[in-house]
Amino acid sequence: MRDKLRKWREDNCRNSEQIVDVGEELISEHASKLGDDIWIIYEQVMIAALDCSRDDLALTCLQELRKQFPDSHRVKRLTGMRLEALERYDEANKHYDAILQDDPTNTAARKRKISILKAQGKSTEAIRELNEYLEQFVGDQEAWHELSELYINEHDYGKAAFCLEELMMINPHNHLYCEQYAEVKYTQGGLENLELSRKYFAQALRLNNRNMRALFGLYMSASHIAASPKVSAKVKKDNMKYAAWAATQINRAYKLAGRGTKENKCSMKTVEEMLESMQITMS
Amino acid sequence: MAGPELLLDSSIRMWVVLPIVFVTFFVGVIRHYVTQLLHSDKKVNLEQVSDSQVLMRSRILRENGKYIPRQSFAMRKHYFNDAETGFFKKVKRKVVPKNPMTDSSMMVDMMKGNLTNVLPMIVIGGWINWAFSGFVITKVPFPLTLRFKPMLQRGIDLLSLDASWVSSASWYFLNVFGLRSMYSLILGQDNAADQSRIMQDQMTGAAMAMPPDPNKAFKSEWEALEVVEHKWALENVEEELMSKDLNFGGFFSQDIKSAVF
Repeated sequence: MRDKLRKWREDNCRNSEQIVDVGEELISEHASKLGDDIWIIYEQVMIAALDCSRDDLALTCLQELRKQFPDSHRVKRLTGMRLEALERYDEANKHYDAILQDDPTNTAARKRKISILKAQGKSTEAIRELNEYLEQFVGDQEAWHELSELYINEHDYGKAAFCLEELMMINPHNHLYCEQYAEVKYTQGGLENLELSRKYFAQALRLNNRNMRALFGLYMSASHIAASPKVSAKVKKDNMKYAAWAATQINRAYKLAGRGTKENKCSMKTVEEMLESMQITMS
Repeated sequence: MAGPELLLDSSIRMWVVLPIVFVTFFVGVIRHYVTQLLHSDKKVNLEQVSDSQVLMRSRILRENGKYIPRQSFAMRKHYFNDAETGFFKKVKRKVVPKNPMTDSSMMVDMMKGNLTNVLPMIVIGGWINWAFSGFVITKVPFPLTLRFKPMLQRGIDLLSLDASWVSSASWYFLNVFGLRSMYSLILGQDNAADQSRIMQDQMTGAAMAMPPDPNKAFKSEWEALEVVEHKWALENVEEELMSKDLNFGGFFSQDIKSAVF
């Protein structure tokens, strides 16, 4: 059971209910056998308990940790998180400020403050704080991703694209960033952005052959460019070729997926109809 | 002089050679733990962290810039390198050279280092000279010149004795350096019992955190960034993609009901 918890910890899975079940059992019954591991398990279970609104469990874990490590920044951060979960945001903020006064390089406290702003719905302030944070800690991937999400929610696609570019540079082989970037570019619209998005959808597909979303995106962007009146004939022809290729691949994928089911023929037809309806027509 | 082989009393082996080995080893292990106990946390400066991250970002831009569009790359390069407003040109950090004599934390660290390393050496060296002097311990397997005699044969004034026969002090020094690999086996890499590495550190000077001169680092990064040019990796990506058929493989099987999107 310890190994399961350890695996979840290392993979950063957020399966809080399972963690709470396994962890609670471990703590109540086998506390003595765990040795020094118990502290990190307390931390893991506490965060999972906050997720599942198990305040009682969270409180017990926190008290144990406080008894053992009275002056630790990490434990203070956990107290702050519990206050956040109880929606006592001002007290939580005071806690984090105290940590930051002591140790200005503590990234965890800063991030919690930003997430408080996000939880309170003050997204413009959250964006501003996150920008300041990133000015100092330029290498923090999590923060870039969070910022891009915030910008997408505010429909500021240009800045979101910038954040995603940073992420793509840091992880050039991650097809998901490529795909998200391509989607943002597609949403921005305009011929150049559509071309860029088509290229990045293709790149995402190249990195991972099975990314269906990127395949659909490729189809959409190619057909969109082909349908636009301003393009030259050659570009139109190229894009129709891309779109046709993407369509065949989609058909093939659905055929493979529907292998063995009786409704095979019907579903193929629906796929073709769907592709037809997705054609962008100039109105 | 090749000389007749000396026959050493086997009790020498039992009561001198082995005790020296054990004592050296255990003192080393104790030194490692004592250092860990006395270890004080290094306070990291916010500016240093921020600088090191900026340099990392610029390096990533250089290496992986080909994955982002040309305009974005140009935008970032401009941000860093522009003649008037570029980051590397504009930001000059005030460099305070860390004088080892006046910087108090460095003083304390140095004292601690000296205490834990030099003191045991002196103590044990003295004990060995007092307890085990006046006779040879062992013979090194390779021939040595006469120059080594006064060094390796403390307390023995035999002119005719081959320089290969060494006394206990030299056996002690041999142990100090030889047991280094044993320490890394038992205590893991980067252990504090490794004296020679510590001496090397002291000799290379105060090399803490970032290079002591971030300005120099910025300058070299600026030069490197100037030279780099943008070769977009995505020029022909569609052609490459379509030349090979997509490999759906065993992805779609009846048992997998997970959401694909």
